[in-house]
Amino acid sequence: MSPNLILAEEHAGSTLRRNLLAVAGTLLLVATYAALVITQPTNLTDGLGQGVALATFAAYLLAALLLLAAVLPDLPVSTLTLIPVALALNILLGQFVGSVMVPLYLDSIGTVLVGFLAGRRAGAATGVLGTLIWSLFAPTVLPFAAGAALVGFLAGTAARFGAVRRVYLAPIAGLVSGVLVGVVSAPVAAFVFGGTSGVGTGAVVAAFRSMGDSLLSAVTKQALISDPGDKAIVFLIAALLVYALPGRLSHSYEFVRRYKVLGKRGAKQSA
Amino acid sequence: MPFFQKLHPFTVLSVAIAIVAVTTAIGNVWVSLAVIVLCLAASAFAGKILKLVALSAAIVLPAFASQLLIHGLASSGSLKLTAEGLSTATALGLRTAVLVVAGLLCALIIDRHQLVAAIDLSKAPPQLGYLVAATLFLLPQLAERQKIIGEAQALRHVHFRRGIVGWFQKARMQAVPLVLSSLEETSKRAPHLAARGFPANTRMSRLRTVPDSRVQRAIRVSALVLALIGPVLILIGLQFGAVA
Repeated sequence: MSPNLILAEEHAGSTLRRNLLAVAGTLLLVATYAALVITQPTNLTDGLGQGVALATFAAYLLAALLLLAAVLPDLPVSTLTLIPVALALNILLGQFVGSVMVPLYLDSIGTVLVGFLAGRRAGAATGVLGTLIWSLFAPTVLPFAAGAALVGFLAGTAARFGAVRRVYLAPIAGLVSGVLVGVVSAPVAAFVFGGTSGVGTGAVVAAFRSMGDSLLSAVTKQALISDPGDKAIVFLIAALLVYALPGRLSHSYEFVRRYKVLGKRGAKQSA
Repeated sequence: MPFFQKLHPFTVLSVAIAIVAVTTAIGNVWVSLAVIVLCLAASAFAGKILKLVALSAAIVLPAFASQLLIHGLASSGSLKLTAEGLSTATALGLRTAVLVVAGLLCALIIDRHQLVAAIDLSKAPPQLGYLVAATLFLLPQLAERQKIIGEAQALRHVHFRRGIVGWFQKARMQAVPLVLSSLEETSKRAPHLAARGFPANTRMSRLRTVPDSRVQRAIRVSALVLALIGPVLILIGLQFGAVA
């Protein structure tokens, strides 16, 4: 029998290696974040500032790549075929929002959708891959890969614990996720780019700076204004899209069946 | 064959990584400007200068404006224009500009088919090549489908109102059919891929070859070593210079 028609053998060594990669990625992210928050380098453009920018960029990107390497070999084919669609939806729906002048990003709908349907590992992988591919069109998003992974991871975690079973729970989960993502991503914006890359967000950071805040504090406050609202809407839209799927389709994902992601709504759909 | 097509995609990427890392570590306005000019010259050589300028301007100009607001205008505790703030804003803006221009140049000169083939031929998991290829080639297909959905809604005389209500109406009328049809296709594609032995446990032969040579391999290794060690040496040198 062809080796492709039987299940691949799972070696204890490979599972351990993947777990170690995930732990290393998480530790690197936490250590970099803690070091930046504790030291709060003030000089952005002289010697130390350049070193901090490079180290932050490299550490956040490496952490995201380690998490991707830990997760990718585990994903089933049904999830692997879902991820490219989600990545394309991130870009297309993000552009569609831009075209109607709504002041939101909504560029993570696909990532959250994968988190809801295929779980947190798939969501995290989608976040990292989405950032890597988007960086071909906008290289400045590259160091935010870890933040994007966190969005997918939190979406999967929220779905696992019932956030998609009631429509009002999804935006609440999005709000909480937005706070965490904003806090994690702020050091990248502050120490790699010296603030933000948009004029609107830059004006908010400038306002906080003029009130005496440090750069990290101002960028974190700006992120806490923008991200929770954005993620609340993204989680709500992704939940509504999942509800709109035929039960046959949504229940084809093992994660949805195993953790009863859709609750009673799912039972009605599949009946 | 055009010059850039003869280069392995990883050679282009590793050289770009080295250039961005070293330029960021040096942190000199003139060096950053020289790198940007060199990138523009390379894009002109490849016949992509207009595209590079347009794409870079769309990212770099708002970033510059943001830096001017944050550092040029609003220094800590006050709202005034200072020479020091302007200098910081310029340095940060140029740091971003080098990353953007070098990154976009790579995206414009690297052939997507070769990039996918290079990932497949590398030691990366086979899933990665599939995901990059599927996303890059799915994007124009879904964009076309979104356009067709819009035309179908127009034929039904659906008019979208302005503001937030119109936005939700548009989201419902355009995004829902797009997402549903895409996910439906996904569910059909998965068993076909699995039946064809994806992801493969063994290395699969590829018909497309990626141009490579011993010189290019040496350049790749040197560029990555430079990207790792160069900034450290430069930053140590800058510290010693400051102390002296």
